[in-house]
Amino acid sequence: MALHQIQSMIRPSTLKEAWKAKAEQCESARFLGGGIDVVLYTPSSVTTLIDLAGLGLSDVREDVSGLMIGGTTTMTEAIESAAVKAYAGAFLIRVLKEVASPLQRNAATFGGTLGSAHPWSDVIPALLVLDAELDVYDGSDRAIGLEAYLEGRGNDVAPIICAIRLPGELRPARGAFATFTRTAFDVGLLNVACVGSIDGGAWKDVRIAVGGTPGLAARLRGVEKGLVGSAADDALIEEASAAAADAIDARDDLRASGEYRRILARTLVGRCLAEISEGSTG
Amino acid sequence: MTIMLRINGVSRTVDVAAGETLLEVLRREGFVGVKCGCGTGDCGACAVLLNGRAVNSCLTLAGKVDGAEILTVEGLASVERLHPLQEAFLDEGAVQCGYCTPGMLMSGIDLLTRNPNPSEDEIREAISGNLCRCTGYVKQVRAIQSAAERMRSGGDDCAT
Amino acid sequence: MTARPDREFEVVGKNERKVDGTGLVAGRRKFVADLHLPNTLHVKILGSPHAHARITSIDTSDAEAIPGVACVLSHENTPSTRHTTAGQGYPEPSPYDARMFDTKVRFVGDRVAAVAAESEMIASEALKAIRVEYEELPAVLSIDAALQEGAPVVHDEADSTGIYDAARNIVADVDIDVGDVEKGFEESTVVVETTCETQYAQHTPIEPHVVLAYLDSDERIVVRTSTQVPFHVRRILAYTLGIPMHQIRVIKPRVGGGFGTKQEVLLEDVAALVTLRTGRAALLELTRAEEFIAARTRHPMRVRVKLGAKADGSLHAIEMEGLSNTGAYGAHGLTVLANTGSKTLPLYNKAENAHFFGQAVYTNLPVPGAYRGYGATQGYFPLETAMDELAEKLSIDPVELRRLNHIRLGETSPIFEKLGEGREGVSQTVKSCELARCIEIGAERIGWTEKRGKQSKDGPWVHGVGMSIMMQGSGIPEIDMAAATIKMNEDGSFNLLIGATDIGTGSDTILAQMAAEVLGVPLSKMVVTSSDTDTTPFDVGAYASSTTYVSGTAVVRAAEKVRAQILAVAAPLLESPAEGLFLREEAVVAANGSRVGLDRVCQRAMYESDQFQIAATASFVPSESPPPFLANFAEVAVDTETGRVNVLHYVAAVDCGVAIHPKLAEGQLEGSIVNGLGYALTEEMITSSRGRVRNPSLFDYKIPGALDLPKLEVVLVDSYEPTGPMGAKSVGEIGINGPIPTIANAIYDAVGVRLRKTPFTPERVLAAMRAS
Repeated sequence: MALHQIQSMIRPSTLKEAWKAKAEQCESARFLGGGIDVVLYTPSSVTTLIDLAGLGLSDVREDVSGLMIGGTTTMTEAIESAAVKAYAGAFLIRVLKEVASPLQRNAATFGGTLGSAHPWSDVIPALLVLDAELDVYDGSDRAIGLEAYLEGRGNDVAPIICAIRLPGELRPARGAFATFTRTAFDVGLLNVACVGSIDGGAWKDVRIAVGGTPGLAARLRGVEKGLVGSAADDALIEEASAAAADAIDARDDLRASGEYRRILARTLVGRCLAEISEGSTG
Repeated sequence: MTIMLRINGVSRTVDVAAGETLLEVLRREGFVGVKCGCGTGDCGACAVLLNGRAVNSCLTLAGKVDGAEILTVEGLASVERLHPLQEAFLDEGAVQCGYCTPGMLMSGIDLLTRNPNPSEDEIREAISGNLCRCTGYVKQVRAIQSAAERMRSGGDDCAT
Repeated sequence: MTARPDREFEVVGKNERKVDGTGLVAGRRKFVADLHLPNTLHVKILGSPHAHARITSIDTSDAEAIPGVACVLSHENTPSTRHTTAGQGYPEPSPYDARMFDTKVRFVGDRVAAVAAESEMIASEALKAIRVEYEELPAVLSIDAALQEGAPVVHDEADSTGIYDAARNIVADVDIDVGDVEKGFEESTVVVETTCETQYAQHTPIEPHVVLAYLDSDERIVVRTSTQVPFHVRRILAYTLGIPMHQIRVIKPRVGGGFGTKQEVLLEDVAALVTLRTGRAALLELTRAEEFIAARTRHPMRVRVKLGAKADGSLHAIEMEGLSNTGAYGAHGLTVLANTGSKTLPLYNKAENAHFFGQAVYTNLPVPGAYRGYGATQGYFPLETAMDELAEKLSIDPVELRRLNHIRLGETSPIFEKLGEGREGVSQTVKSCELARCIEIGAERIGWTEKRGKQSKDGPWVHGVGMSIMMQGSGIPEIDMAAATIKMNEDGSFNLLIGATDIGTGSDTILAQMAAEVLGVPLSKMVVTSSDTDTTPFDVGAYASSTTYVSGTAVVRAAEKVRAQILAVAAPLLESPAEGLFLREEAVVAANGSRVGLDRVCQRAMYESDQFQIAATASFVPSESPPPFLANFAEVAVDTETGRVNVLHYVAAVDCGVAIHPKLAEGQLEGSIVNGLGYALTEEMITSSRGRVRNPSLFDYKIPGALDLPKLEVVLVDSYEPTGPMGAKSVGEIGINGPIPTIANAIYDAVGVRLRKTPFTPERVLAAMRAS
């Protein structure tokens, strides 16, 4: 319902303006993307909202360096984008369709999703396995890897997310995604994102991220290393899946026990790897 | 703050508090067909069209949508007749208590505007954010299919 | 009793547009909160943070001093009358154990105080300013804990009445038997026993509880409330507040779903008292979180069933023992427990020996109440599971075992008269029963013979099929009363005034269809006014699957009286004795074909000759409760690696007598089945070790959405109930009982595992598979 603590809403038209407003008010100001998480989770200490919709950050573009998705692009805009469809076999679209409901996808932005970094996020593991980089602004323009951004949350001052960049090298990649929900309109007890390819019967690039453990998604680099260069057979997939189950920080919460999450991780990682492996034959 | 909204084709200026949601503002302005079922975006009863897209009005900050075009259930029918989707809901028995109906209709309109020949799966996905406890969704899905047929074969006078 | 008419119905049996439908799809029909009155106060309730505590002091002065606060209520300034909140017929078979605001709190969320203020925001701020000191008491958070020797006593007050044994936390105790079960089991060739547990679940109507109270221009208090039971609200309000009933008017506008949680006087007392104290309108609306925490829920139950059968599969002895958690207050505790047996055991009437017993127990947990199915849902889980286990032991097909044992046309069960709504029931004989046909259709559509026992595999998925059968009732015999008034207008239309309560079920429409049928007019000529205690005659309200059968009969009788009056007025006009006349197509028609329009007839009576208002009132109390019957068949696929259960195909074949409005009847089944699927697979209210609800939101409590459905087929089997209006029985509740046992039995067919605890979450299913 209404955020009674909010006294003003600023709608800047440049990044500089937006950042200045934030710098002036610090913790009592909050950036506004689609607004969903702002309505749901804004603490009573926040009195000013800074709407980023007027900054022209909702382009989706493809060029030689890869795919660029503007920070205020909505999930639906991405789903309907030809450039997103052409990238990694429409992997992102498959993931985005799992997120919440169409009503929320029509409003939720990429920047907002990353800014909130909910541990159950489906988008974050998908972007992690696509080696996402972020163009951010915090007084000046800079680039930061998604992992570094996520690690820095809480410590560093949160920058404005101007764009998400996905590398051109992964354009031909294939991905697999699984989120294990109770009903369809639900967040997962666990989710798994995988991107990779098989070359000459061996795993080439493999990227695996598991989220909702219930912790925030993270790449399983140890498991990835165990796969790269090795023969892509069922036995290896099973080994990797078992390793994935051990590698995650699985804990109990309202939705599931840590033990069940490990079982899920094993099963879903196995299925994702199998899907990529089968898709790559021939 | 004062904002301008074009609601069901009619512009008006509205005074809103900076932190008010579109749901609260619409109901206060008399559009009580827009319902509140949870206030947290989990049920979809509050759905309206915002610049042509169905959204949860309970999760939309009013201040953010200054200048927007809004369609609520009250704007679906013309003076002479109901929208084909409303007719279909009536004929298929898709309305029981009617509380989820306005939001459900909005999701249906969004779908049919973009996809005039949706599959059953596409219909289910379009209303996947609209919870109903009365109907089990069976007749609502059928009503949207029926409306799509009516609209394809020339059932015009759509308000959007 | 009537026989099947040889003529087709004109209005009944047709899928007419609902009388309130256009207004609902246009967003024009008003629900409680859609009526905006000037100067309305917003009311919020302060809930207890403790599961069990005494309020040692309460200081509302800071709250009262906040600008915009109009009044603050607590135990210090409100009536102390003990009453029940259960919306049941008087004298209510529930204990009078509730006070508006008590000096003791008994569950997390229990009422402590209430504030009425100019806005919701001010009211919420004021709640925080109320200073309460509690003496925390040890709490009982399970049935077993509550029944332990020396357990804390939830209701230790001297002025509560109707509790079976308050010192031992026992609200109700039921024990009935037929024959001698112990001997019966000894005489049986095969005996099976199973115990099943069902969880805390909530109705989640999309519209939460809400009430608007105000003084009308005659200074009478009007309570506009989202309720299933307007007349019970009026009576209980008068009693609780100590004001004369005739000063209260209760109006039910559109209601956004009830399913039992609104068969309760949950908020009306607070709103009404605010209005009486301030003179202003008062709006009290629960948030979704409060709806989970402080409204009503399903009774969690542990039910044990023991079956004994002869070698040929005929049941010889049935024992059912129920332990019901009735939470902090005893509303519906006795009656839900009794229904667990009364709506299940008669189904297998040929067992000569039967024993039903059990207790409903207080705990310091959220309060269960009425919920669609009302105990039968919890009872069919172990009963239909045990039947499957029996079938396996006897090497008889489960479908065959049901066929062999279920009640048939012309039969009775001793349970009917032994077990009623918390007291003795009423003896009856089954006068319509198409259950055999329901079973036949269901088995065929699911592909029973082809699929049962095959465990066909599809990657990690294993398929299985399961089934169950059930019955319910149609109203509460010799207790429920409904009445209807019909008056005629000079354009040939009628006003139908009914107390019957349309909560989305479409009762306004189907009752109008029945009246229109008798009076020979189209539905559009029937103007319905319902559920207003000033203008409509009495009706118990929407519960116990009573509206079609009980309210319907009252409507038909009123219509028949009006018809007689019309024919008497028309007779001289047609120069024919009244006996030879009938009503058709908005006219009175004689045998020779001459006709006079209904408008002409009414004009004559209204203005011309022997003037009188053509009108009649009729009442009906049923002497029996004819059961609808249902056969459920489901195909599931179980993912053996994750435990997920996908219901692929669900067939429900039902005998509800004549379906007055087929699409609405189907809609009742579709909705109740989907609710049942959630109850079986995903819904669970989880409480903490301190009795707090941990998931009071639709984000964390998952109900089925449009993407969660099987291929769902509902078949209305042709049937005719001779005691029912137009041949109808009920259909509102029975569907919700199907999914749990049907899916449990299907899971067993697929993976050989018996689940005895709902919901069948993937984690539970996988654990059960690994354990076996």
